[in-house]
Amino acid sequence: MTDAYVVGAGQSDYGSFPDESYRSLFRTAFEDAVESVPDGMDPDRIDEAVVGTLGVGGRQLGLSGPAVTEHVGLHGVPTTRVENACAASGYAVRQAVQAVKSGMADVVLAGGVEVMTDASGDAVRYWLGVSGETEWERLSGTTFAGVYAQMASAHMREHGTTREQLSQVAVKNHANGAKNPHAQLGFECSLEDAMSAPTVAEPLTLYHCCPTTDGAAAALVVSEDVVDEFTDDPIRVAGVGASSDRVGLFQRETYSGVPASRRAAEAAYEASGYGPDDLDFAEVHDCFAIAELMAYEDIGLCEPGEAGAFVESGATKLGGETPVNTSGGLKSKGHPIGATGAGQVVEAFEQLSGHAGDRQVDDPSVGLTHNVGGSGGAAVVHVLEREGVAR
Amino acid sequence: MTVGIHAVGAYAPRRRTTAEEFEAAWGSFDAPGIEQTAVPDADEDALTMGWEAATRALDAADATASSVDYLAFASTTPPLAEEDLTVRLGSLLGIPDDATRHVFTGSTRAGTRALAAAFDAAPDRGLVVVADCPRGEPHDAREHAAGAGAAAFVVGPDAPVQVRDRAERTKPYPGTRFRETGSDTVDGIDAGTYDRNAFTRPLAAAVDAVDLGDVDAAAVQMPDGKAPYRAAGAMGLDADTIAAAETVSSLGDTAAASVPLGIATALDDGAERLLAASWGSGAGADALVFERGREVPVALDTDGDEEVSYATYLRLRGEITAEEPDGGGAYVSVPTWHRSLPQRHRLVAGRCPDCGAYTFPPEGACRGCDSLVEFERVALPGAGTVEAATEIGAGGAPPEFAELQSRSGAFGVAIVAFDTEDDETATAPAMVVDDAAVGDRVETVQRRVYTQEGVSRYGFKVRRAE
Repeated sequence: MTDAYVVGAGQSDYGSFPDESYRSLFRTAFEDAVESVPDGMDPDRIDEAVVGTLGVGGRQLGLSGPAVTEHVGLHGVPTTRVENACAASGYAVRQAVQAVKSGMADVVLAGGVEVMTDASGDAVRYWLGVSGETEWERLSGTTFAGVYAQMASAHMREHGTTREQLSQVAVKNHANGAKNPHAQLGFECSLEDAMSAPTVAEPLTLYHCCPTTDGAAAALVVSEDVVDEFTDDPIRVAGVGASSDRVGLFQRETYSGVPASRRAAEAAYEASGYGPDDLDFAEVHDCFAIAELMAYEDIGLCEPGEAGAFVESGATKLGGETPVNTSGGLKSKGHPIGATGAGQVVEAFEQLSGHAGDRQVDDPSVGLTHNVGGSGGAAVVHVLEREGVAR
Repeated sequence: MTVGIHAVGAYAPRRRTTAEEFEAAWGSFDAPGIEQTAVPDADEDALTMGWEAATRALDAADATASSVDYLAFASTTPPLAEEDLTVRLGSLLGIPDDATRHVFTGSTRAGTRALAAAFDAAPDRGLVVVADCPRGEPHDAREHAAGAGAAAFVVGPDAPVQVRDRAERTKPYPGTRFRETGSDTVDGIDAGTYDRNAFTRPLAAAVDAVDLGDVDAAAVQMPDGKAPYRAAGAMGLDADTIAAAETVSSLGDTAAASVPLGIATALDDGAERLLAASWGSGAGADALVFERGREVPVALDTDGDEEVSYATYLRLRGEITAEEPDGGGAYVSVPTWHRSLPQRHRLVAGRCPDCGAYTFPPEGACRGCDSLVEFERVALPGAGTVEAATEIGAGGAPPEFAELQSRSGAFGVAIVAFDTEDDETATAPAMVVDDAAVGDRVETVQRRVYTQEGVSRYGFKVRRAE
């Protein structure tokens, strides 16, 4: 079986862009990805495309994949839309890897797009709840933030995690996002800002919650057979892991962790031969501050229950033992639902290529991306390495 | 007459607003003799209050819902003008589908009419549920008086409380209290002496037709705190006898539930012989004389525990608040909701015949062993422990709950591990009435969950256990 490589990745700015459409944002990401290929790539080389989107606003629910690929000139290329809530384009990247590894394609475009800020407040509130379990969870009155707040309540109760520790996630990610020109909320915030912000869903404050975002991201995944045509410094997809779980939090075995993340990470580590200690950085799914703390535990950066102390130790800051969310994460960079997973791969590609600017990790060779759908009904983890450098 | 009252349950919403609050807002309070009124929560109505009273009555009687063969529901404020609400009430309670059912409405006499009809029907185990929450225009004296409450009676043979005599009389007096078709609010012509005559004459005639004997309490219709005392002389009663069964000063006008709540209060206070004299506009009156032969269990839960300002009162009543947003909410079709009624109404979970784990709702693979099994269906008692919780703050509610939040403010949402008869628990998400934190013990209550396509959906929420 051939290996799969990421030879290019790019994204639009993340933010609120009333003058852009989901198609124009996707075009920006696509062009940025093609331009990032070190030795260049003719888009005609693309055999297949996979596009992640939830379809917030209902603007193009059917055939939303072809709707963006035909817009960028990939006329006739087989295109599939992947929907796995916030993990849509993480799964799109995984499908690209599968297409390459199966031998059916040599060059695959994996991307995602979402436009979330051009609808009325009521419409956005409606769409933000569509990935929770509808009949019981949503009709208990809860929201996306509410479900993660329930997880925070359980984590605090079981492990003594504090609001201050949740706030430290926000402070760190904003510090990183301030160095990312694509970030939606690219400004620093103080611990005091995060602690004293209005409560969204107890115990989560506004600074513990990601924004709603417009944006697109894309990655180009190629086979071992053709990788040399595009780069001399290949970045290999060393391992992929994915898992699903019950959609409603109330149906799961735990409320203080995401079992699908744990299983996805274990599978990705096993496939790659790497473990958490080998990581030079990780991009994790921090839709809410508690989600990043749970991710530390689920992907094995720290022991279960110790995430609060782990963030407090500074280990996940830029310059720390394992920097997490150097891009600013969903919290500061933004969370355009369908684009988020591919956007994490963009950051990993830039870090491993040495193009991460002010937020560059010192000479990284192995990185991980972790993308979660809903409150944990789906999760996907990729381990990426600079081939020939790692280990 | 051998059929009588075996047990009584009564309920009133916990929130109260006071005469002083109205006075501060309007410069005067126009409902004499009322100190405070009970204010239903935004998700309460006559049906949910009726459920509260009915569960207490059944508990007090140590009777199961499955033994009930006759169900009556009486209210001047049924949540729907047309639909047999005894079917939903019966489903919430778990009453068999072959029980005889009757709805009484359209008059503040509806409560006593329901009792009289049950005595005539002579069921083996009847349940008469009376609940009301009248409204008026905000400026109107009838709104100043408007309260809320419910009483329920378990009725059957060989009862401790027997009906000794009863009569009814009418006198044609239009205009004294009426609610036009399609309107939510009661109105009246406020014609002084005419109104007083319309109230007093039918009551006096009905009471005159019964053998009153030496009653130590008289539950007389209480549209405000003055009307029953004004009619006392004509009925041959003194003020103390009326005061012994009065609820209007602390609950407000509870319309069809007014006299039933008075009966509950008087029996709870130990009355031996009791007059129940209701009045309904048109006008007519019922008089029933009860006598207690032995102890009768009464479960009253009518105390208030939270005073609200007039502004909060207006919010709770939906006078100044948002309606459901145009965008609509989560779409759960009525047939989908219908399939979940055993779960929404009676917390029916599935027990796995293989591993013993509970799955709620009982569908799909077992959450213990992931096998596709035929669940054994078990109605859970409704007590549980909060395992995860948060509060959805102002403005944060999903659109389908925006109106609820606009009216009653932030609400809690919890994941609850419900007790089962085994060591296992069954987990379910639930909206929280008031508030509850992780580790708290809670119990289910029935409330209106939301309304979509004109159909109100009722189901369980949880409230901290007392």
